[in-house]
Amino acid sequence: MQVQPIKRRLRAALAILPILLAGAWLNAQNTSGSSEYLIKAGFIYNFANLVQWPSTSFAQPDSPIVIVILGEDHFGTTLDHALEGKKVNARSFVIKRARSVSELQRTLGPQKECQILYVSSSEMPHLGEAIQVLKGAPVLTIGETPGFARSGGIINLVLEDNKVRFEVNVQAAKEADLNISSRLLALARIIPEGRKAE
Amino acid sequence: MQTIRYPHNSWRGLTRPLLVFALTALFVTAASAQSNVVDVTTMSVEDLMNMQVTSVSKRTQKVADAAAAVYVITQEDIRRSGATNIPEALRLAPGIQVARIDENKWAISSRGFNGRFADKLLVLIDGRTVYTPLFSGVYWNVQDVMLEDVDRIEVIRGPGATLWGANAVNGVINIITKSAKATQAALATAGGGTELRGFSDLRYGGTLKQDTAYRAYAKYFNVGASSDPLGGNSNDNWDSLRGGFRGDWNPTGPDSITLQGDMYRSHYGETLTVPMLTAPYSSTFPNRGGISGGNILGRWAHDFGNSSTSLQVYFDNTNISENSLFADHQNIFDIDFQHSFHLTDSQAVIWGVGYRSIGDNNASSFTVSLQPNHSMLNQFSGFAQDEISLLDKRVQLTLGSKLEHNDFTGLEVEPNARVLWNVTPNQSIWTAVSRAVRTPALTERGLQLVSTVIPPGGPGNPTPLPAEADVYGSNKFQSEDLLAYEVGYRVQVANNVSADIATFYNNYTHLRSAEPGLPFVQTDPAPMHLVVPFVASNKMHGGTYGAEIFTEYKVIPRWKMAASYSYLQMDIRKDATSMDPTPDNPDMSSPRHQFYVRSSLDVFRHLEHDLTVRYVDDLPGLNIPSYYSVDTHFSYALPRSFELSIGSQNLLNQKHLEFVPDFINISPTEVKRSIYGSITWHSE
Repeated sequence: MQVQPIKRRLRAALAILPILLAGAWLNAQNTSGSSEYLIKAGFIYNFANLVQWPSTSFAQPDSPIVIVILGEDHFGTTLDHALEGKKVNARSFVIKRARSVSELQRTLGPQKECQILYVSSSEMPHLGEAIQVLKGAPVLTIGETPGFARSGGIINLVLEDNKVRFEVNVQAAKEADLNISSRLLALARIIPEGRKAE
Repeated sequence: MQTIRYPHNSWRGLTRPLLVFALTALFVTAASAQSNVVDVTTMSVEDLMNMQVTSVSKRTQKVADAAAAVYVITQEDIRRSGATNIPEALRLAPGIQVARIDENKWAISSRGFNGRFADKLLVLIDGRTVYTPLFSGVYWNVQDVMLEDVDRIEVIRGPGATLWGANAVNGVINIITKSAKATQAALATAGGGTELRGFSDLRYGGTLKQDTAYRAYAKYFNVGASSDPLGGNSNDNWDSLRGGFRGDWNPTGPDSITLQGDMYRSHYGETLTVPMLTAPYSSTFPNRGGISGGNILGRWAHDFGNSSTSLQVYFDNTNISENSLFADHQNIFDIDFQHSFHLTDSQAVIWGVGYRSIGDNNASSFTVSLQPNHSMLNQFSGFAQDEISLLDKRVQLTLGSKLEHNDFTGLEVEPNARVLWNVTPNQSIWTAVSRAVRTPALTERGLQLVSTVIPPGGPGNPTPLPAEADVYGSNKFQSEDLLAYEVGYRVQVANNVSADIATFYNNYTHLRSAEPGLPFVQTDPAPMHLVVPFVASNKMHGGTYGAEIFTEYKVIPRWKMAASYSYLQMDIRKDATSMDPTPDNPDMSSPRHQFYVRSSLDVFRHLEHDLTVRYVDDLPGLNIPSYYSVDTHFSYALPRSFELSIGSQNLLNQKHLEFVPDFINISPTEVKRSIYGSITWHSE
């Protein structure tokens, strides 16, 4: 019968898949992150470049920029790898993680040493509390949940048609004493909508 | 080469390129594992904004949290595949069995038991259940949406009964359209081709106030009849007209409201054979049918901050008039409430209650009748599910159950337990045990179908009277039960490679059998004849097992490859007490092996090319040989927001049958090479 050799060939072709998967499994150990978060890491680096913190925000001219990821961390090691050895105005990056707002409080300490707070969607319900914790400190809050900028966050990364876009709440940035470059604002969607970027 | 109906020789030609592809993919994968990830810090904001988030990661992200075999068909997938309707789009999902019967009918199922009246798959469009209570299946020729407005199709293989309820036995298909806000433009498409003779889609989206977005659409298409094996017209032409709207009100604040609705009418043809009590005892003729209907759905969501609720109400009306067979009018009202909240830091609870009423009015023919002609059914349901995060949120335990009450079988309990373990950020293992039931359909309780008439005095019927073999429903018919065991593994190998494996063992009891009843003599309708009834009963059981594998590989940013393979083994047997004359393993209508390889390439900036090679194993129960199909699609972006698209299906022109329908004797038609072109314009 003719069907037999064809089936054998088919089986041979299919035998390749497990090999692919085995290779996949071995490789999975040392790579991480997905390209969505790789792109988001790129945005964070650019924001660090295009946002001006007041000088009081840093203890020394070469103090690092401290990024805290609040809530479920989808970056894996992507952000750490992307920012490793990178500098913005002679400042390197330090990345910390806090699973909850109370842990954030502990991580920040009394000096509130943090320039960027990345609020994962898992901690979105506690955004209000997080903003309370940061009150008075010039911290750039970055979110990834619809409504983040409207609820008092400063920059919100949104996925649209498989591309990353961002919204900026100018008022919140002003209240945090942050100066966002006009180049960045020109590319942003300004929240609340209808408001002109100054 | 000679014209052979199923040219076996040509397969050999195809297998080799496939092997070469697989090997190449292997080497490229191995090589890419070494390569470095792009340095995103050297990219400007503008560059980053233009970067596509790979479906690989998006899919894995969403799917990573699910302890179930989930696959998401994205808008991009649908558009690039050139699919022209939902059944074609569903061929993109690994492991789903899609077989075309004729130009307007399909057999679609998951994990076996395929048929035109396949009854173990639940299908929803924007939260509205679209399977028909008549046979617990789907009239695929009226389930349609504007494909451009589909956000995604979530395909869950395996039971989803705890959340979705009875009939989510072997799978759930969830078609989700975009929000009105995401379709804020005018769009017009028109085109035509060899099978799909002409089609046009129109949509307009706008904003009423700052916080209220809407869209309205209309869609028409006309599919020409194919030819039967002898070259004659097989009458399976089909046309459909539908229109609808959606409005989303999203004020700043905790509330959001969605209102949407559709209306449609569809006419279709077929070559139908019906039995007769007088010589020649059957008649084959071109038949026409029509289905029309409409639905309206409202959803109100409220966010309390720490918890959220949603209330959904819909009304659905369906009118079926299958000339020479059956007419049916159905009204379904459904109301559903859900509440989700965090019980503790590590426990997320979701619970809900629902009610559905089904009103049915039908009219019979000699071939098909359904008793009672008027009926009203009520279903009540409630469910609760708790998601518990353990061990630093690396392990997620999901426990839940649905309780459902229906008029036929009373209370049904459908619990499940699922565990997901994120071994590393890039790989997870999940396992699940769940129970699902398929509650009786109206036809299984009250059908009388004359399936064939055996002439008198022949070998099968020595009596002097014509003998009618009938399929009867029974008010003793109970739910079919499933206990399912599943294990899956997902891995993101690198930024550009992901893989997903799901395996299952399904144990069914009380499956439907057809038990012979005592023959009797009937005088009405004349002439006097014998009736040999086969009565729906629950005397089959058995196991099915299988695996579905999907891998996606982004070779370079402009080129994505995806491959899928699925294996299915069914071992369904009659109970010892069953007198069903059909042999064991009666199904044999679902392919044991299926695979596809898909390539999506941006040839240059404005030109996209997609190529799919599919293989479907033979269906021994239906005497259908295995087949390959090659589909291709080009899309070219023209200036001024015009887009040109050319799609071709079954490019190798290997004419093949994909299925032979059950119960109603419709002539299946062969799938031939087809080609179509279209042009799309959108505002902005």
